[in-house]
Amino acid sequence: MKRVLSNKWSIAVFVLPTVLFFTYIVIIPIFKSFYYSLLSEIPAKVGDQSEFVWFENYIKMFTPGRRNAFPEAVLNSLYYAGLSIFVQLPFSLLIALILANGVKSESLYRNLFFIPVVISSVVISLLWQRIYKDLVPSIYEIFHLTLPKNGFLANKDTKLMAVFLPSLWQFVGYHMLLMYGALKSIPTDVIEAATVDGAGGVRMALRIQIPMIKPMLKVCLSFSLIGSFKLFDTPWILLERANKSLPALSMYVEMFSNHKYSYASAQAMFIVFECLAFTVLLNILFKDWDGFTLRRGRRRLAA
Amino acid sequence: MKKKFSLGKVATHAFLIVWLLLCVFPLYWLLCFSLKDTQEIFNGNLIGLPTQWLFSNYANAWGAGGNISVFLMNSVIDTAVTLCITSLMGFMSAYGLLRMRWKGQKVVMTYIMMGMMIPMHAALYPLTETLLPLNKTYWALIIPYAAFNIPITILILSGFITNIPYEMEEAACIDGSGIFRTAFTIILPMMVPAIATAAIFVFLQVWNELLLATIFASGKVRTLTVGIQQMSGQYQTDYGSMGAALVIATLPTLVLYMCMSGQVQRSLIAGAVKG
Repeated sequence: MKRVLSNKWSIAVFVLPTVLFFTYIVIIPIFKSFYYSLLSEIPAKVGDQSEFVWFENYIKMFTPGRRNAFPEAVLNSLYYAGLSIFVQLPFSLLIALILANGVKSESLYRNLFFIPVVISSVVISLLWQRIYKDLVPSIYEIFHLTLPKNGFLANKDTKLMAVFLPSLWQFVGYHMLLMYGALKSIPTDVIEAATVDGAGGVRMALRIQIPMIKPMLKVCLSFSLIGSFKLFDTPWILLERANKSLPALSMYVEMFSNHKYSYASAQAMFIVFECLAFTVLLNILFKDWDGFTLRRGRRRLAA
Repeated sequence: MKKKFSLGKVATHAFLIVWLLLCVFPLYWLLCFSLKDTQEIFNGNLIGLPTQWLFSNYANAWGAGGNISVFLMNSVIDTAVTLCITSLMGFMSAYGLLRMRWKGQKVVMTYIMMGMMIPMHAALYPLTETLLPLNKTYWALIIPYAAFNIPITILILSGFITNIPYEMEEAACIDGSGIFRTAFTIILPMMVPAIATAAIFVFLQVWNELLLATIFASGKVRTLTVGIQQMSGQYQTDYGSMGAALVIATLPTLVLYMCMSGQVQRSLIAGAVKG
């Protein structure tokens, strides 16, 4: 039995194709990207070689300048992350709490709230394009309001918000579902005990339910953060071409429109580093949060 | 639990219903304008039901001007082949990695899981080089889709596969079944629900994907996402047909969701760790 499960040849047949395939298509390109990001731009003349320039592309990326849009793109993505964390997630949590605490036709609400999530973000974006161009102006007309100059999607001040809104709206359902699922899996005796102790409504939510779904909140947070750095579909469709106002867009434009492969690779690597850094940061934060509540609990016990 | 009619309850429901309308209204609106003609929309019937139900918009988007049928077929092929690859390779490597016993299985597992945390932006340009010979074929999209979705498939399967008792293999082994026969005729059938869970997640990812599709799907092999995005440029004036195209593109996922909403929700919960 053990011999059968440890047979080297059968293991190789099961695992090796996947490992090789995965390495060739996912891992090697990532290392190549990193290597390219350390090179100077591919010269126009055939036969010339690109030089190894270490981190010059990375420095260039963050050198302030009128024509360098990347720092602003990063700030914009952080702005989106902020909106997602401080508006979208609390809102989703509120809905999840309401649904999980039992309202009439709970599952109907849940199923319908989730619909935007399964729809392609391309369709969502094109739909919102129509909403911005046709529906909102006519609503403004009814109330005699003045539209922003050039419309929402071209106006400098409203553009970003107009682009963020559809994806914020779309993924409320996803976060809600994740939190709802976690809330539902809290053992009922915990809730019952808290009820007997006189906790209700808001206190129950703040003291019992939210702390107990912390692992899922972490998943939602990293989802928001990583999603904000990778955000591509909605802005790609809603903004005019060659727009570089978000990191993924900037990378795409530099890569496929301007053909600055090294510079674009540096931006791509930056997105990866950013994602990894924030994943690590979240892990540290949540560990501290655990430690903090534990310490406080012990102190209380000692008192 | 207290049960009474209270102001709080009414407010709660009002809040939920408002959000419900905000969730469903865009869909209703889409469905309506896919059946109207441009004239009607501009003459003020922006929100109401269409006065005439113009199914010709659908015919127009499907064949004549829009070619949605071609894009749809391409998306179906890409998605179907990707799902076959991820399911088969995912199952086999999950079996090899989590069921069999060998040195270094943890290392290999971590290696593949690390790939999941890295966004595919990072591999984009080198991939265009690697996949250049496959340009304008279905494989140019299928291969990266499959490779990037194998880790999450393995992860979703891992939760299930470790719960199957080892007595299964023991009994099969005593009866003289080889490892491959055991894996494919005894373990695989037990894994079908898990494979379905993973497949639904991957389906939604692949069907809705845009970034890779804009790069690798050009010409005849354009997928729905790229196709309708390009169509929206050409169809600036023909709202009805554009709406019809969007409805056709959405229908497969929407039907899937309506038929098995619970299963779809479970899949997306299981895949959430991917980020």
